[in-house]
Amino acid sequence: MAHIVDARGLACPQPVILTKKALSDNSVIEVLVDDTAAFQNVKRLAASLGCTVEEAREGSVFRLRITRGGTCALAEGVISREGPVVLVMSSVNMGRGDDVLGTVLVKSFLHTLTEISERPDVVIFLNSGVKLAVEGSEVLDDVKALADAGVRILACGTCLNYFGLKEQLGAGVVSNMYDIAHTMLTAGRLVQV
Amino acid sequence: MPFLAVLFDSVNAALLAEKLLKEEGVPFKLIPVPKSLSSDCGVCIRIDADDEARAVDALGKKVRIQAVRPLP
Repeated sequence: MAHIVDARGLACPQPVILTKKALSDNSVIEVLVDDTAAFQNVKRLAASLGCTVEEAREGSVFRLRITRGGTCALAEGVISREGPVVLVMSSVNMGRGDDVLGTVLVKSFLHTLTEISERPDVVIFLNSGVKLAVEGSEVLDDVKALADAGVRILACGTCLNYFGLKEQLGAGVVSNMYDIAHTMLTAGRLVQV
Repeated sequence: MPFLAVLFDSVNAALLAEKLLKEEGVPFKLIPVPKSLSSDCGVCIRIDADDEARAVDALGKKVRIQAVRPLP
């Protein structure tokens, strides 16, 4: 018997949070939602965790049967805390020590993110990191692929302004420090690159 | 379009290859070496299969190519 999560009538991100929580305690759950956005978000969460999803629609209610698989991140205890996984790209390079090597690593890293099943829910680009998400960036296609896969992309507006790149943002949205601080502080996990 | 992975012995060789391909206008992308392939340096250059001759020509004798493999 599957554990039932009745998220009908609840506003996002509540259905997602309840789903994540239920998945950490149960290997098979059924989630009921009556909102298209909630349905998509729950489905995306399950997919991002490597779970299998069967979906059915009964009138205005979506029923998602989610089964943790062998590769399910929750089953491996990778993601255990509630709240989104937030990745902060705070530099145009990855790591400190050598900028040329850092450029190689950042390209390799962002491309890898598009290929593996563990995805962040949000990526914040700030300081010189915003240069990764603008037109002409060599990794813009990867950033776009993440956005297309449902990852929220936030680019620091102050930073884009400082570099004169506001008009060149190629993926995601121009964000402000309120959003950025809130996203960081409500993250389930914060990964700083 | 199928892709090829051009593998190198070192990160420095991959960086030099990037520079040479940029100069020649051959489209490419620096990517991590897929798990199914192996190379010493961890990064490789992905090119369109159609550009193989142009790419190999552009790299010429300036950079040693370890191998060219089809990408899964």
